[in-house]
Amino acid sequence: MRAMAAVLLKDVVVELRGPMTTTALATVSLLVLVVLVFAFGPVWGQSEPTAAAGALWVALVVSGTLGGGRVVAVERERRCIDALVLSPLDRGGLFVAKSAAAFVFILVAEGFSLIVALLFFNLAADAALARTAAVLALGAVGFAGLVTLVGAVGGRAKGRDFLVPLLAVPLYVPALIAGVKASADALGGARLGEIALWLKVLLSCDAIFVAAGLLLFEQVVAGSE
Amino acid sequence: MSKGNATKLLGAATLGLMVAALFMVFVYAPAEATQGDVQRIFYFHVPLAWVAFAAFAITAVAGLFYLWLGYPVFDQLAYAAAEAGVVFCTLVLVTGSLWARPIWGTWWTWDSRLTSTFILWLLYVGYLALRAALADGEQGARMGAVFGLVAAADVPVVVVSVRLWRTIHPAVLVTREGSHGLADARMVATLLVSMVAVTAVFGWLLALRVATLRAEARLRGLAAELLALERASEEN
Repeated sequence: MRAMAAVLLKDVVVELRGPMTTTALATVSLLVLVVLVFAFGPVWGQSEPTAAAGALWVALVVSGTLGGGRVVAVERERRCIDALVLSPLDRGGLFVAKSAAAFVFILVAEGFSLIVALLFFNLAADAALARTAAVLALGAVGFAGLVTLVGAVGGRAKGRDFLVPLLAVPLYVPALIAGVKASADALGGARLGEIALWLKVLLSCDAIFVAAGLLLFEQVVAGSE
Repeated sequence: MSKGNATKLLGAATLGLMVAALFMVFVYAPAEATQGDVQRIFYFHVPLAWVAFAAFAITAVAGLFYLWLGYPVFDQLAYAAAEAGVVFCTLVLVTGSLWARPIWGTWWTWDSRLTSTFILWLLYVGYLALRAALADGEQGARMGAVFGLVAAADVPVVVVSVRLWRTIHPAVLVTREGSHGLADARMVATLLVSMVAVTAVFGWLLALRVATLRAEARLRGLAAELLALERASEEN
């Protein structure tokens, strides 16, 4: 547990000293939101909550795939992964620590996108927005686990930057469907009980990706040395 | 009988079955009452779909066995099944699209089965891209097996979520239930023969690909051995 916290803390401290990853994620999210406003703004009209929910999820997926996988890639670039693999932390614990770091970074970027969306889509800062934020955070748990695992799987391949989105996005489709529906309903004023079905799908995706990481991370980082 | 001969025999049987299936599909089976000849594409579409799904199941199960036991043959089977599976899955999407144009009036619609099949196709294209990007050998095999397992765990949730997504959305088109009722016994017989023929094609392709991948692995092993011998003789 302490070793896990130490790895997570190391990533957070590195980020605090020079916020590379969160800045990159937030910038990509901002650009995605701007592009979506220009692309679809004229046809949104009455359905702004749906449009805002969709835009937030696009920002999450695009920035998350581009930036989230960096938590593993950065260790490879500096060959720090060797030290981590040699540390007394077991591979499941390493996965938890790394995906927790990805989760923190994605969450920061999501918080930023929510503020931007608040302005772009004229949303009210009320309970509905808080529920939407909770849905997004729930989606981020599974996505952080997924990009950490997939980032490690495709991390040593040629064309890594292309491969990680290709592997991660199709796997994330069920969470995306559930997340977009749940956030759109939540923004439209639905209570958590009314979107329970979608939250269950989202939770199952989180469970699958985290469980897959815990069970399979050993196989992925074995032979990194 | 050697493996090579068995594969040749399977190839010959496949050819015979395919000719029989083609005859039954285009000559023996009667035209469907409402759809006409367009419906005949289903005699290939349905077997192709069954084989594509079976192929992806083989990839996942063989990958699991590879991680568990470590024999390269399991990985070769997984890789070969994924390759053939992507080909068959592409054909499922193409034949479905060809049928949908005259019957539904559109090449593509986000119907739940179409969407699920398309996501499945994307997942296994991803698998092939991963294998192509990683070097041959143990590492590619392990990463492929891991991804294959995650994809297999994901597929049920994809199917459920896509179905929920479509049933809650307004239906653009009528569901396909009842659109291919096989009223005639000759139609059922044709579908069965076609099923066996397409499965045989898959089995034959799988056997060929596994043999090729085995030969490649042996060649790599021999090349490594040769290199080691050369180095040793230089040192002496």
